[in-house]
Amino acid sequence: MHDSSALSSTGETASPPAAGRSRFVLDVRQSLPAWKQSLFLAVSLGLGLALSVAILWVAGISPIDLAGELAGVFNADSLRGVLVQAAPLMLVGLAASLAFRIGFWNLGLDGQMVFGGIFAGAISIYQIGPPSTRLLLMGIAAAVGGSLWCLLAGFLKLRFRVNEIIATLLLNYVAVYFLFHLLYGAWQDAKTAFPQSTPFQPFERLTDLGYGINSGLLIAIVAILAAAWLIHYSRIGFYMRFISANPSMAKVVGIPIRAVTLWTVAISGACAGLAGFVNVASQEGRLTESYADGYVFSGVLIAFLSRNDPIVVAVVGFLIAVLFITGQTLQVFYQIPFTMVQMIEAIIVMSVASSEFFIRHRIRWIR
Amino acid sequence: MLAFLTSWLADAPITAVPYALAALGLIISERSGVLNLTAEGLMLVGALTGVGSCLTFDGHPGLALVVAMVSASCVSLLFAGLVVVLRVNQVIAGLSIVFFCQGLTGLVGTLANWQNKHIEGMAHLAIWPFSEIPVIGRIFFMQDPVVYLTVVIFFLVNYWLSSTMMGLRIRSVGENPAAADAAGISVALHRVLAIVLGSSLIGLAGGYISVVNVKLWVTGMTGGRGWIAVALVVFARWAPWPALWGALLFGCIEAVIPHIAAAGIRVPQYLMMMTPYLATIAVMIWVGATQRVGSSEPGALGQPHVREERR
Repeated sequence: MHDSSALSSTGETASPPAAGRSRFVLDVRQSLPAWKQSLFLAVSLGLGLALSVAILWVAGISPIDLAGELAGVFNADSLRGVLVQAAPLMLVGLAASLAFRIGFWNLGLDGQMVFGGIFAGAISIYQIGPPSTRLLLMGIAAAVGGSLWCLLAGFLKLRFRVNEIIATLLLNYVAVYFLFHLLYGAWQDAKTAFPQSTPFQPFERLTDLGYGINSGLLIAIVAILAAAWLIHYSRIGFYMRFISANPSMAKVVGIPIRAVTLWTVAISGACAGLAGFVNVASQEGRLTESYADGYVFSGVLIAFLSRNDPIVVAVVGFLIAVLFITGQTLQVFYQIPFTMVQMIEAIIVMSVASSEFFIRHRIRWIR
Repeated sequence: MLAFLTSWLADAPITAVPYALAALGLIISERSGVLNLTAEGLMLVGALTGVGSCLTFDGHPGLALVVAMVSASCVSLLFAGLVVVLRVNQVIAGLSIVFFCQGLTGLVGTLANWQNKHIEGMAHLAIWPFSEIPVIGRIFFMQDPVVYLTVVIFFLVNYWLSSTMMGLRIRSVGENPAAADAAGISVALHRVLAIVLGSSLIGLAGGYISVVNVKLWVTGMTGGRGWIAVALVVFARWAPWPALWGALLFGCIEAVIPHIAAAGIRVPQYLMMMTPYLATIAVMIWVGATQRVGSSEPGALGQPHVREERR
């Protein structure tokens, strides 16, 4: 009974037990030792992963094959692929975690990536600036593009009280159709029949820095360090913590909630825009139809698992990159659709979210 | 011009039905206080299982729609368990269900080889002699049975929610769960019931898209209609009839797109396809600019009820 105190007895006082009726009673735990919390988390995560493996087994991939594919990810060649893939994932995870910190559900990560890519692509296609600064200009343009697209939803929320969940999700579709409009029209590469833009020139692409590290990953890590500084040491980070802890108190003591919200939304969008830039400038080398596909829920997942902590975002982003690369392998060799990755991500979120119930409550059977 | 209008307005109910049914399903669940974002995913489940049933049992669209309803309800039990029993954040749980369903339907559709297989669909029901009336007959009396069924469902659900004991309990659980609990109404039971019943209508909406309208299954074929339905609920202020009028409005907007192309008017195709989403955002802006905040929102929307933690 070490963890039940005054509050836990309310379960009984709220509904006096009828004589002889046995039932479950929930107690609210006051505290739980860290190792027990981790145990609950690990057990539910394990159940979730076991369920994922079982579904894949039904889909025709035996656990042994799956283990082989997973192990195959960690050879030098694939690991390079994982590191390339980790960069956009870390950036979308960072984008989501920053926005979630102030309770802004930014689910428009796809759309912001699309606009990041489009803005970067515009710099390349219209050949703005000298070759030496072109890549830098593309990066800045991408951040601005993602930022503006996210600010649109932020503006709609603050000015017209439009729910940002709906607004950002719907703007994703608008962004993707705008991309199609460009890729099937003005920006289509005349040399191919595919919906692709003309390839970027070599100086417009993110290159390897050696040791398998792509410069996209460098961008992601710099962004994560900057965000960590922002959250822990800057004034806006302090305001963000205040707003998320107690919005009404924040308002009363005069914290500029609107300004902080708009700045956070802009930074969040900029991170997602950079993710789009990293994808088009390193992996694809041109604008394609699908460079932003499947990132929005990955961003939500990374932010959720890392509890919005930028440094943890980097770790989780790397793990999800492993999942992505495995998913791509399964797609190629077993014809498993890539949406399978989303399903596993959803199972992970559901199992981790449910573990919180068992961390916070104790179930007792009374007779 | 008249031919254009007739064929456009005759198509509008077909595009409106999924919005109407999905929004109604969401209203039932949100009236019980559960913020429900699962529509996009459950519609996909309905759409896939509907087509799967048609392909497996060789036709029978009516049966396919029932299968779509039942399967969406089954998946919604997972959502109900997460938000009602385990009190998971309702936004996180809803999003997880959507992306879970997107992945699962993509996987099952590919493995069962149901992709791009054409099915028979459902015959239109001509209500003779009204169907012979020029213009009006084509628009109102020559639709498929589900269109008429949708109107009946709206009457029933509206009556059920507003005038029966069960409806009152569901609404009370959504307005003030603590008071309802004290009055002896089981919050968990009524919320689960509202989620499952509402989800069956969402499944029907999805099944209608694939079985009756498009007549085949394509991965991710609902294309954001579930999110539009979520917006429609806000537009309708959680009331059934305004949701039907809103659905008709969106149905008209969506139905005009192919007709404009068919009429030979040169409009960029992909910009045209943005219109339903932009129209939804425009409607949300209108709602935000004209209506008071939270005036008709269920009081406990989005809040889990934890008896042990009440103040």
